[in-house]
Amino acid sequence: MANIAAKRIKREFKEVMKSEEVAGGSIKLELINDSWTELQGEIAGPPDTPYEGGTFLLEIKVPETYPFNPPKIRFMTKIWHPNVSSVTGAICLDILKDQWAAALTLRTVLLSIQALLSAAEPNDPQDAVVAKQYREDIRLFNLTASHWTNVYAGGPTVIWEFNQKVQVLIEMGIDEDQARVALSTFEWEIERATEHLFS
Amino acid sequence: MAETSEARASASAPGGDAGGEDDKHDERMLECNICLDTARDAVVSMCGHLFCWPCLHQWLETRPSRQVCPVCKAAISRDKVIPLYGRGNTKQEDPRNKVPPRPAGQRTEPENTSGFPGFGFGEGFHMSFGIGAFPFGVFTSTFNFGDPRPSAAPRGTAQYDEEQFLSKIFLWVAILFVLWLIFA
Repeated sequence: MANIAAKRIKREFKEVMKSEEVAGGSIKLELINDSWTELQGEIAGPPDTPYEGGTFLLEIKVPETYPFNPPKIRFMTKIWHPNVSSVTGAICLDILKDQWAAALTLRTVLLSIQALLSAAEPNDPQDAVVAKQYREDIRLFNLTASHWTNVYAGGPTVIWEFNQKVQVLIEMGIDEDQARVALSTFEWEIERATEHLFS
Repeated sequence: MAETSEARASASAPGGDAGGEDDKHDERMLECNICLDTARDAVVSMCGHLFCWPCLHQWLETRPSRQVCPVCKAAISRDKVIPLYGRGNTKQEDPRNKVPPRPAGQRTEPENTSGFPGFGFGEGFHMSFGIGAFPFGVFTSTFNFGDPRPSAAPRGTAQYDEEQFLSKIFLWVAILFVLWLIFA
């Protein structure tokens, strides 16, 4: 790895550890390997959102050309959000692409992703299905996002109705994650979800 | 919730990291916004942001089509940054003139087109005389203005082989024609 990248990540790491966000528990950063190329981030779901109370893990890969090119970041924790793929965790955020600037740091990027959770951009979606639900039925979107936060990110809001529906599909022999995606996609209607899964 | 996250944050503090040194706040003022180290060959943008010239140069090279300040995204360019000369710096040399060695220009030798000069008057005029079959003209003269003769194709290429093949065919046709003239 290029010297400047490793050196900068080391400095950033130290700064993140001293930052008030880490002290307040809102973001966290951990090293994955000794060459400073892979890290794991963690952000707390922002208050007054369906993600509140959840903790979301992020995979961070630092390219050799960092900080001239952005780090590659994706959600490892499954999340229901218009700008994050519900399947791969890929994030659609301009500063991770063409709007990257060399003065941005892992700390500011993690805070930006956290801000994205409070302010979705449904008109520039990563996951078209989620974005459509966000635009057309925000109430159902919030419930679904809360349910995903509860199941995958340790959020406190349990939605029994959704748990039961997922259980019904599991008993039909369907994989849990697949069942949840199908139900979330088809407005939690069991008939349409099964029709889709068995077609 | 707050308690558990604090516990987690402290648990994840770097273990064997060399975190002993105390950062002096005065020095942090003079850190490059790209490498986060003390700026060397410092330059400052019109928007007031400090960089090492090598760092800023690499940033400008990385995206030549979108030259913006890495901090505030204001328009920025090589000519619009100001080099900073501190007192300790004896050689007051413009940092923009050194460090990132500019890529050297590439030049190739011009192609050598004139093998046989012929009756050329300067570039692009050629004249040749020949003897043609009687009814078609005793002397055939050709004048070419304008186009210089195309250079021969380099050896080994498909075009070179083709040209060699064609010239052999024409040679045989000429020999047959001469024989026909003699014996007919």
